[in-house]
Amino acid sequence: MRHTVRRGVAALAAAGMLAGCAAEQSGGGGGTGGTGTAPGVTATTVKIGGVLTKTSASGYSTKDAELGAKARFERANAEGGVHGRTIDFLGAEDDGQDAAKGDAAAKKLVQKDQVFALVPVHAPNFGGAAFLEREGVPWFGWATGPQWCGTKTGFGYNGCLAPKPGAGSQTWWGRQLADLLGGSEGKSVYVQTSDSSGSKYGGTTISQSFTAAGFELAGVNSALPGAAPPPDWLPYVNKIMTSDDGGPPDVVVSVIAGTKFNVGLYSALKRAGYKGVLTDATSYDAAVLKDPASAQALEGVIAAPMFEPFESDAPEIARLRADVEKVAPGTTLTQHLAIGYWAADIFLDLLAKTGKELTREKFLATANGSYAYDNPGFGRIRYPKDHSEPNGCGALVKLEGGAFQVARGMKCFDNVPLK
Amino acid sequence: MIVDYVLSGLVTGAIFAIMGSGLTLSYAATGVFNFAHGAIGFLTALVFYQLNMALGLPAWLSALIAVALFAPSLGYLLHRAMFAGLAQAGETAQIVGTIGLTIALPALGLLVVDLLGLPSADATALPRGIGPHPAVGLEPLGVRLDTDQLITFAFSVVTAAGLWAFMRHTPYGLRMRASVDRRRLATLRGVDVAATSALAWTLGSGLAGLAGVLAVSVVGLDATAYTVLLFASATAAVFGRLRSIPWTFAAGLALGVVQNLVAGYTDFLEEVTGLRTAVPVILLFAGLVLLNRSRERVAGSAAEDAPPPDHLAGVPLWRRRLPWVVALAALVGFTFIGPDYYVGIAAQGLVLALIFCSFVVVTGIGGMVNLAQASFAAMAALTCGWAFASGLPFLVAILLGVLAAGAVGLLVALPALRLGGRVLTLATLALALLADQVLFQVDAFSNGTIGWSLPALGFGFADTSDARVRVVLLLVLIGVVGLLVKNLEKSASGRAILAVRSAPAAAVTSGLSAPRTKILLFVLASAIAGLGGVLYAISKGSITATDLPASAGFVWLAVVVLQGVRRIGGAVLGGLIAVVFPELLATWDVSAHVGAILFGAGGMILAKHPDGVLSQLAESRHRRRTRRAEPAPQERSVSPEHQEPLADSEHPVRRDPRVAVGRRGGGTADEPRELFRLENVVAGYADCTVLRGVDLVVRPGEAVALLGANGAGKSTACAVAAGDLPATAGRVLLDGADITAWPAYRRARAGVLLAPEGRGVFPGLTVEENLRTWLPDPAQVYERLPRLAERRAVPAGALSGGEQQLLTLAPALVRPPRVLIADEPSLGLAPLVVQQVFELFAELRERGVALLLVEEKATEALRIADRVAFMRLGRVTWTGPRAEVDGDRLTAAYLGAT
Repeated sequence: MRHTVRRGVAALAAAGMLAGCAAEQSGGGGGTGGTGTAPGVTATTVKIGGVLTKTSASGYSTKDAELGAKARFERANAEGGVHGRTIDFLGAEDDGQDAAKGDAAAKKLVQKDQVFALVPVHAPNFGGAAFLEREGVPWFGWATGPQWCGTKTGFGYNGCLAPKPGAGSQTWWGRQLADLLGGSEGKSVYVQTSDSSGSKYGGTTISQSFTAAGFELAGVNSALPGAAPPPDWLPYVNKIMTSDDGGPPDVVVSVIAGTKFNVGLYSALKRAGYKGVLTDATSYDAAVLKDPASAQALEGVIAAPMFEPFESDAPEIARLRADVEKVAPGTTLTQHLAIGYWAADIFLDLLAKTGKELTREKFLATANGSYAYDNPGFGRIRYPKDHSEPNGCGALVKLEGGAFQVARGMKCFDNVPLK
Repeated sequence: MIVDYVLSGLVTGAIFAIMGSGLTLSYAATGVFNFAHGAIGFLTALVFYQLNMALGLPAWLSALIAVALFAPSLGYLLHRAMFAGLAQAGETAQIVGTIGLTIALPALGLLVVDLLGLPSADATALPRGIGPHPAVGLEPLGVRLDTDQLITFAFSVVTAAGLWAFMRHTPYGLRMRASVDRRRLATLRGVDVAATSALAWTLGSGLAGLAGVLAVSVVGLDATAYTVLLFASATAAVFGRLRSIPWTFAAGLALGVVQNLVAGYTDFLEEVTGLRTAVPVILLFAGLVLLNRSRERVAGSAAEDAPPPDHLAGVPLWRRRLPWVVALAALVGFTFIGPDYYVGIAAQGLVLALIFCSFVVVTGIGGMVNLAQASFAAMAALTCGWAFASGLPFLVAILLGVLAAGAVGLLVALPALRLGGRVLTLATLALALLADQVLFQVDAFSNGTIGWSLPALGFGFADTSDARVRVVLLLVLIGVVGLLVKNLEKSASGRAILAVRSAPAAAVTSGLSAPRTKILLFVLASAIAGLGGVLYAISKGSITATDLPASAGFVWLAVVVLQGVRRIGGAVLGGLIAVVFPELLATWDVSAHVGAILFGAGGMILAKHPDGVLSQLAESRHRRRTRRAEPAPQERSVSPEHQEPLADSEHPVRRDPRVAVGRRGGGTADEPRELFRLENVVAGYADCTVLRGVDLVVRPGEAVALLGANGAGKSTACAVAAGDLPATAGRVLLDGADITAWPAYRRARAGVLLAPEGRGVFPGLTVEENLRTWLPDPAQVYERLPRLAERRAVPAGALSGGEQQLLTLAPALVRPPRVLIADEPSLGLAPLVVQQVFELFAELRERGVALLLVEEKATEALRIADRVAFMRLGRVTWTGPRAEVDGDRLTAAYLGAT
C-alpha cells in the first residue's frame, strides 16, 4: 500500500515538475499587438460594456451605475458622438460579487463581444483586473479595491481609493467636517470598522484623514463581525460611549459596509444617549428615507459622497438630472448612478482627447501621459498620478428633517502620505 | 457592565437557540443534517417581509402566517420532495442535497420577488420586526433593550417550554424520541417513521422560520447573514451533541453571552484580524473534537456509502472508453480551432476539473466528505504567490504551494481520525470558515486585499497566457491524476481503503490500518486541490484571499457529486459544466437565480440517484439492455406456482385473497383457522438472495418454533414477516388479507409484533416511556412486574439483559398482539430468566396469540411449541407437529442431512 501511494506522490510531484518545467519564461505582459484598428471600433461606433454587481447574496447592488453610464453616453450620441463615432453601449454584465464571475465577464466582453473598453466597472470584488491589464484594455469605474491601483488600464473616476502605504491618502473628509463644525480643535473622533482586513485598512486611511484635519483620535475599533450585523450592539456602544476619557467622542465615523450596519449602530448609539456627530460614506441614499426606522436612525447623520450632491445647484448636476430624466424618467438618483455617470464622462473626455485615430495603445498613452480633467461634478482627475492615490475631493450632506441637504459642496484637498 | 453583557447576550442567544433546536430536532429525528436550515429561515423572513410590505398585512399577522403556515408547509414539502429520499441515500448525497437547497431556496425567493415586481428585498436596509417600528427602547432590570429584543426573548422562552412539553408529554414527542433512539425498532412498534420524519421536518422548519423572522430586524434580508446564523446555530447543536434539544437550547443562549463577552473584553485580540468574528467557528471545531466522537463509525467512513454495482462491467474496455476518447479528441480539436473566448472557458473548466479530481480521491475513494477543498486550493495559491513574491523561483513556489496544501491536509486529517461521518464533515466546514475568517486575513500571508500576482508559466515555445496551452497542460495533469486514481483503486492500498469504507470493523480485524490510509488519502486530495488552486491563480494571473471563498467549495462538491464522485470522468464533466452552464444562462439571458434554482433541484435528483448522473446513465443503459435481453424477468420470479405445497394445509384458491378470507373467516372446522402465513416468500439483501421460497403458517393460540442452523435465514424470515425487509416475491397474509405491501409500522398496528434479535428496548428512553410506545397506560405492567415498576424512571439502557427482555415482552401481556414473532428471545440470558421469558410465551399462547419463536438453540422452544418448522438454506425443509420431532430430525435439520 505504502508503495503505491509513494508512487502516486512521485507522480504528483512529476506533474508539478512538468507544470513548472522551464517556468517563469514569461513575465506576463504581452497584450494585443498594435495592428491598425482597435477591437470594437468602427468608423462610426465604439463598442463599450461594463461589469457591475447587479445581484449578490447579500443584496448589495450597483446596478444603477448602468443607467448613469447610459444617460451620459446617450447625451454624447445625441450630440453626434466623439470624432464622428457614437457609443454602442452593450450594458453591463453582472458579477454577482464573485471574483471568478467578474473575471469571466471581463473575458466575455473583451473576447466575445469585442468591446473597446469596459465602462462602468463597479464591483467591490471585481476579479477581471489581471486579465484586463494583461490585454491592455482600459476600464473605468469606482476604484474601491486594490486591484485597480498601480495598473495602467484601470481608471477610477476619483482615483485609486486603496493607496499603498507611502502613497497619497485623502484628507478631504476630515477637513470638510472640520470646516463644517467650525474647526477641529479639541474635538475627538472614534472610528468604527469591522473585523476584516479590508475594513481595517479603511479604518487606517480614514483615521488619518481626521488626524490630518486636526481631530484627536479617541479610538479605532474593529471588533464588529464582518459578515452580518451583530444581534446585540451593547458591547460596541459601551466602548464608544466611554472612549474619550470615559465620555463619548465628538464624532463617530462608521467605516462599515452597508446601511443596515449603520442603522443598527446609530439607533443603538442614540438610545444610549449619544448626542455627537455621526458620519459615514454610504448613508447618502434616497432609498433609506423610505423606511421610517432607517430614516429615524440616520436623522442628523452627515454622509460623505465623493461627487457633487444631487441637491447642489451646479449646472453639471442639473445636466446630470436632465440626462437621466431623458433615459429613464422618474428615476431616483443614487450614488451608484452618479458613479456610472462620471466614469462615462471621463471616458468620453479621454476619447475626445485621444483624437480621431483610435487604438487602445493610443488611448492609454493619452490617458497615462499627464492627463488632467476638472469637473465640478467629481472635482478633478489626474492620470497617471491618480492610479496610485485618490483625487482628494468630496462633499458632505446632512440628513435633516427627513431630507438630504448639502452641508459642504464638492471640494478638493491635498493628500498626505499613508502611514 | 458584565451583568449587562450576560443579560443582553442571552437575548442574542435566543435566536441561536431557536434555530439550533430546530436543527437538532430534524437531525436527531431523521439523520439528515440540514445545511439549508438557515435558508429556510431566510425564505420565511422574506415571506414575512412581503406579506407586510406588498400586501400591507399587519406585522403580527404576517409573522403568524409566515411562521405558523408557510415555514411548516415548506418543511413538509421538502420532506416529500427530498428529505424522505435523502434519509435513505448516503451521507454525501445528504450533505450535497441540503447544500443545494441552501443555494436554491433564497434564489427561488428572490426570483419570485423579481418576477412579481414585489418590493425588492433590499439588504442595505433593516426591515421591521414583529414589534413596533421603529423599535422602542426599554430598560427592564436596568439593561438597555428594545422591543424587538424583548419579543425575541419572550418567544424563545415560549418555544423552549413548548418544545419540552411536546417532546416529553405528547405521544408525537415520544414517537419522535423513539425513532431517534432506535429507528428500526420504532417501526416494529408501530411508529410510522416516515410520518415522524415529516413531523420533525415540519416542526424543524417552523423553528427555522421563527428564528428567521425574529432575526430579520437585526441581520436584514440577506441570505449570507442567514448562513452565518446557521453556523452559529450549528455550534449550539453540536454542543447539544446533535441529540439533546435542551442542551442545544442552553448552548445557543450561552453562545450569545460568549459573543458579547468576547466583543466587550478581548481588545487584546484585535491584532489578529478575524479571530473574534470566528469565535463561534472555533467553538464549533472544539465542540466537534471534544464532544462528538462517533460511536458507530471510525475514521470518517460512512458505511452505508457502498459503491453502486458496475453496470458497465460486461462492456468491453474499448467500448467503455470510447465516449471519453471521442470527447477528448473533440475537446482538443476545438482547442486548436475554436475562438479564444470559448477556449478560455474550456481552460477554466479544466482548472476546476483538476480541483474536482481531489473530491474523487477524498470522497469517491475515501468516503470522507470534505467541505474545505476551496480553502486548500486558496492555501496553495496564496503560498505560491507569497513564495514567488519573496523571490523564490516560480517552480519552487509552485511546489511549495502544493506541499503547503498537503501539509494542511495532514493537520486536518489528524483530528479526523477520531471523528466519523458527519462530524468530520462539520469539522472540515469549521476549518474552511476559519481559514477564510482568520488565516487568509493575515496580511503577511495574503498580502492584504491586494493579493499576489503571478506570471504565466512558460515552456520555451509557448506559455500559459495562451488558453490553448492551458487546456493541453491541464489535460495532461488531469490524465496524471486519473492514472493515480486508477492505480489507487486497483492496488492493494485501494482495496484496503474500500475495505475500510465498507466495513471498518472488519477491516481493522484484518489488520488494515484505517487511520493511515485515511490520512494518505486526505493529504493526497489536498495536494491535488492545491495544484488546481495554483493553476487557477496562474491562469488568472493573480490570487487574492477572496478569490476562492469557502462557499465555493460547497458548490464544487455539489457539482461533482451530481455528476458522480467516484470517477475522474465525473470530475471533468463537473468542471466543464460549472463554467459552461452560467455561460449558457447568460447567453440566453436567463436570470442567474434560475441557475441557482436548477442547481438546487440537482439535490432532489440526488435524493433519488445518490451516485450521480454518470452512474445513472450507465444504470439506465444497463436496464435497457437487460429488458431487451430477458423479456419480463419479474413475472417469472413472482410466479405463484408452488412446487412444494405445504404439508399440513389444504390450498385455497390462491389468486383471490378475498375468497380465501371468506373461507377462513367463516371457518367452523375443528382445525383453527390460520392467522398468519408466509407464502413462497423470496427475499434478500442487494444481490444476495437469502429466502428462496419460504412457506409458514401460524394459527391463533399456537406456538410455532422455527429452528435451523446459523445462516439458515431465520432472522430474515422474521424481518420479512414484520415488514422490516421487503419480499421480492411471494406474499405475507394476515387473517387472509394480503399485507405484503404494508410497511412495518402498519403491520405492527394491525397486531404483528416482532421482538427483534438482541433486546427490543429503546435504551435512551426510560422504562415508562418504553412501555408507552405500545401501551397508553403502563400501570397494568407494573402490577404484573413490580421490578419494572421500581425502575420506571431508569433509562432502559441501564437495565440488566433479563430486565430488558422482560421489558420487551411485557407490553404484549397487557395488550396482546395477534401475532408475536420473537427472534432469539433467549439469546444471552441466564437460564432462570429464560425460564421466566418462556412462561410469558406460554401465557400469551393461552390468550390466543399466534406465536412464532425463532431459536438457534432448540430445547427451550421445543418445550412450548405446538408445531415445528426447520429451515435450511433459505427454505423450510420440514414442518410438522412437535410430537414428530425426534433426535434424528433435529440432527438432520442442523447438519443438513436429508
